[in-house]
Amino acid sequence: MTKIILITLLALTPLFAQVKENIEVPYVAYPIKMGKGFDQVNGNCLMCHSFGYILNQGPQPRAFWKAKIHKMIDAFKAPISDEDAKIVEDYLATYYGNGK
Amino acid sequence: MKRRDFFKTAAVMGAATLGSSAFGSEVKIQQPIDNRPISKFNFPEKRPMITHSDRPPLLESTRDVFTQAITPNDEFFVRWHMPEIPTYTDPEKFTISVNGLVQKEYVISLKDLKNDFEQVEVTAVLQCGGNSRSAFLPTTGGVLWGSGAMGCAKWKGVRLSDLLHRAGLKEGAQWIGFNGMETAAYYKTPGFVRELHLDELDDHVIVAYQMNGEDLPYLNGYPVRLILPGYYSDSWVKMLKNITVTSEYQHHFFMDEAYRVPDNATESEMPDHLAKKTKPITKMNIKSVIGFPEDNSTIAMNSQLVVRGVAFDSGIGIKDVLISLDGGKTWESSILDNEARGRYAYRAFRFSFKPKTLGKLEIMAKAVDKFGHEQPFAKNVLWNRGGYKYNGIDVVTVEVV
Ligand code: HEC
Repeated sequence: MTKIILITLLALTPLFAQVKENIEVPYVAYPIKMGKGFDQVNGNCLMCHSFGYILNQGPQPRAFWKAKIHKMIDAFKAPISDEDAKIVEDYLATYYGNGK
Repeated sequence: MKRRDFFKTAAVMGAATLGSSAFGSEVKIQQPIDNRPISKFNFPEKRPMITHSDRPPLLESTRDVFTQAITPNDEFFVRWHMPEIPTYTDPEKFTISVNGLVQKEYVISLKDLKNDFEQVEVTAVLQCGGNSRSAFLPTTGGVLWGSGAMGCAKWKGVRLSDLLHRAGLKEGAQWIGFNGMETAAYYKTPGFVRELHLDELDDHVIVAYQMNGEDLPYLNGYPVRLILPGYYSDSWVKMLKNITVTSEYQHHFFMDEAYRVPDNATESEMPDHLAKKTKPITKMNIKSVIGFPEDNSTIAMNSQLVVRGVAFDSGIGIKDVLISLDGGKTWESSILDNEARGRYAYRAFRFSFKPKTLGKLEIMAKAVDKFGHEQPFAKNVLWNRGGYKYNGIDVVTVEVV
């Protein structure tokens, strides 16, 4: 009974937010492959978005991954060293490559 | 690496990014990816959806959602650019500011927004400019969506023009910048800001706090977002916080580099020969998506099959949705719902028939607008490096048993 009254009262409040407290966005453990260079991927590619962004792209040529890494550096100012960029490129070409 | 070198390298690499090296040169357009699984759990105020990313959240609707003319809030797609989104906003304290080249800058609370202005409603399709991007080969920049980065809802709020009128535009006012509350994880990453020229804004543009009769879901921009009927969703700023009027275009990364297509008659280019000039994607082109049956499903022979789906454009108006069962050789009109929701809304279509032969059956849907524009076959869609504005004829293939 009390519960019902409470709900009606809230429904009448014009500023009722459906969610009254912090929403919690669930964490998704994207199944990224382990392998040589993973540490650099983990260290450089998780700052601004999930691994979902990488997996969403499907297998791609090395040149594609290389350009993508440099898009991150150039357009989004990702602080990635040349050395790490190369390691990440090798990793992506190996584990998410398409042989080209 | 020294700071200086860092920027030098970045500049050179930047040029390479825009060049042809990343793409193969053979253009091929396929059906958008249509077999991604939904996640096992739900995001706040959502049912389980196709979850491309949790941070920032990228949630896609499944095909079956497009049997309905109104997309339920809990199945409506979600697209953010930046990983930091406020996870709680106190509606009692939230304000929007209107400032810049105006007579009187002001901040307004949600309550005043709901009380001080005429409240208006518009039913409009919200579609990501990159919806269906996975159709483009070679792979373009951006998130590779299937066709579920779109939805249609009834939005309620106040006219942007009324908000601006209260502030009073000063002479020379040309551009309006919109800022939401999402922020980048790294301080140097450009923020997601949109700018619109005054000429692009009319009375249909609203600042909305309600979606299908409910508060906006957090992930769709609670407490208020911009609604630009007929336009792609990149400018429908979520969690709208700030409106700034300027005389000059301000240049922001996401305006200058993203959500743009080649500035030529066909808005297309070749991977090894990119267009020099680009322009914002702005208005949506004509499109339709089949909601039922689903690709790769099984259908009983001789039993009535009702194909359902939705069609829309930028507000010109859908005249017809045609169905083909023979690979596009012949077409027949489907039945459209009435136009009661207005010209920016989905038109739901249905087409009933009895499959008479066993085996694979291809069902195609093609929308035609009131001026006679129609969707191209997927294979005739032209390529652009951002993978924007895909509107190829939708095809589902079923097995008749
Ligand atoms: C400084 C922030 C930052 C870092 C670090 C970063 N990215 Fe990104 N990335 C972005 C932004 C911003 C986008 C565009 C977001 C959007 O549109 O949703 C993006 C998008 C992407 C996409 C989607 C495709 C596209 O063209 O937009 C891929 C793939 C990607 N990043 C891969 C990577 C990889 C691999 C790394 C590590 C080498 C990385 N990112 C590191 C900011 C970053």
